[in-house]
Amino acid sequence: MVPLEWYIGLSTVLFVIGVVGFLIRRNILIMLMSIELMLNSVNISLVAFSHYLQDLRGQVLVFFIITVAAAEAAIGLAILISLFRNKEAVHTDEMTEMKG
Amino acid sequence: MNPMTPGSYMPTEYFPVLITMVIASAVGFGALFVGNLFRLKRAYREKLMAYESGNPPLEEPRYRFNVKFYIIAMLFVVFDVEAVFLYPWAIVYDKIGLYALIEMLLFIVVLVVGYVYAWKKEAFVWD
Amino acid sequence: MNSADFIALLPLIVPALASVVLLLLITFSRSHAVSVLFTLGSLLLSFLLLFVAGGGTPRRVTPLFIMDAYSLFFIGLLFIAGIVVAVMSSRYLGERSMERGEYYVLLLLATLGASVLAAGSHFASFFAGLEILSVSLYTLIAYRRNDDRGNEAGLKYLILAAASSSFLLFGMALVYAQTGSMDFFQLAEGGRVPDLTVVLSAGLLLITVGVGFKLAVVPFHLWTPDVYEGAPAPVAAFIATSSKGAIFALLMRYFSLMDLQRFPAVWYGIAGIAVASMLIGNLLALRQNNLKRILAYSSIAHMGYLLVAVLAGGTVAKTAVGYYLAAYFATMLGAFGVIAFLSGEEGDAENLEAYRGMAWSRPWTAGVFVAMLLSLAGIPLTAGFIGKFYVVAAGAGAALWIPLIVLVAGSTIGLYYYLRIVAVLYGRVPEGEGGAVTGFPGRVLGMTGGILLTVLTFALLWLGVYPAPLIRILQATVARLVP
Repeated sequence: MVPLEWYIGLSTVLFVIGVVGFLIRRNILIMLMSIELMLNSVNISLVAFSHYLQDLRGQVLVFFIITVAAAEAAIGLAILISLFRNKEAVHTDEMTEMKG
Repeated sequence: MNPMTPGSYMPTEYFPVLITMVIASAVGFGALFVGNLFRLKRAYREKLMAYESGNPPLEEPRYRFNVKFYIIAMLFVVFDVEAVFLYPWAIVYDKIGLYALIEMLLFIVVLVVGYVYAWKKEAFVWD
Repeated sequence: MNSADFIALLPLIVPALASVVLLLLITFSRSHAVSVLFTLGSLLLSFLLLFVAGGGTPRRVTPLFIMDAYSLFFIGLLFIAGIVVAVMSSRYLGERSMERGEYYVLLLLATLGASVLAAGSHFASFFAGLEILSVSLYTLIAYRRNDDRGNEAGLKYLILAAASSSFLLFGMALVYAQTGSMDFFQLAEGGRVPDLTVVLSAGLLLITVGVGFKLAVVPFHLWTPDVYEGAPAPVAAFIATSSKGAIFALLMRYFSLMDLQRFPAVWYGIAGIAVASMLIGNLLALRQNNLKRILAYSSIAHMGYLLVAVLAGGTVAKTAVGYYLAAYFATMLGAFGVIAFLSGEEGDAENLEAYRGMAWSRPWTAGVFVAMLLSLAGIPLTAGFIGKFYVVAAGAGAALWIPLIVLVAGSTIGLYYYLRIVAVLYGRVPEGEGGAVTGFPGRVLGMTGGILLTVLTFALLWLGVYPAPLIRILQATVARLVP
């Protein structure tokens, strides 16, 4: 059986890749993908912990995360389309209506 | 064993997986590399064109999709993911029985209300 | 789940059911009045059901929810805020040509999510409530979909909130790995958290990032002014009050149950956040000329004041937090209410200069606004003063001198920009411009606005002059917070 540290390591690496992608990329779609990566790395760690603790509650939370991630992606794309219709911006640098 | 204590563990049973990955990438990258060594590097306009089964391309390959595709895709994502709740429900259904059935019916009714809403908003009408 | 559990959970079931029924209703009848009345009716019914549910408390309903006096108090506060926002929105939306029904579905869902947070006693209900709240808010913020600022604000909030949720979840996963439980009460009992290990500290740090973002405390505050500016005024009122209040209620419960104040690292972390929020929130508000942005920075500072009470710990501090939140709800709803009711179709009434000299042409409207601003500043005879007084008393009791000095300094800076708005309201009307009505021609509060804001002003003064009844209720509720 693969020990727990390997899973913690894997999920931490994936999470950090997601965070770095979120911070350095300026394309909204890539940022949404990075968030998706972060959420899925959490899913990996939750399933691993849940298995090692012999406790199903961690996996139940994973189901919540999967559905919420889908809802967030759908609403994010919807708002992005609505923004794109008004002005053709996909990059955060182009969104400068509000400053201060 | 306490799962939280670090140990010196090698996942030996995954060793074949590692070998498969190494061989697969070696074949892929190797083919590209060998091809690069031997092929003629003479580019002309027709060769650089996008491949459209021999016909000249009609328009730019990157054009904007109709926004309706996105709406359909979003609805698909939302309704599709809800199915994830059906699998655990199906597994434990025998143990819980009628209560589980009522719970799942409530869940499906909520989804149907969302579906009726999308229908009435004419989200499924293409033209 | 038996029938007693069901009755205890009714105040949460009714808004959930109502949002589904309303969604079905608006597919067949697009009458704005029907949607408004249905929303108000279901929120009122849920509020009344709190008293029915109160009979069987305290009660754990599944491991997910705890219905006790504390959660019932905050759910009641959230329902009242929901009703006020719905009334505000009815006029706001009624004057704009856009789809209206969906707004109320989302408002009901957002109120439900906030209530789930207030009653949550488990990481799963924490996450579920938070996401029901946030996902509804994304759409509410971007509700004016032809407005670039609204879309931009909605997207900005979505991206940052989703990222902060993943931080929160990773933190939850680590705490779960360390303690083997997601149940707040299980964590509390039997000293399951004896000391801070590396995994637990990392988990708590990540949870702090996630929660700090939702509370908009420094350094996680950057989204606040933009989102407040881009969101419709009633939605901004909802974000400032319900969204933050619900998280705060849950945070207090989690902190008290896990007794996190005993770890110096956690304590100093919160102290740093509180001090930074009080200073930076107030300082950044000085430069603003947009009312919504001023209120955004003001809300950052107010969250800092509240964290001082969390630092103090103990019964007095918990009473102080409850009182402060009630006062803050009434005040913020009133302030945003004035903006919402004066807003016309061309945009929200957020430009400070448009208010110049309003007190001379519309003394009552200006008077209500002044009352709200004085309460935010913490001037005696208003609810804000008593709230701040209790926070300071709790802080002094725990000898938190540095946070208290910063609190006083921050309030002094705050006084300056609140009084600056008052000065504009009573300022000289520019010559030859047609007087004070230049900003919003012919806009008046109207019947609904007048009644709503009068009620809020009276609530403010009543809480400020005669706080004893609410204090007594609060003392009874916080006494049972830790079993």
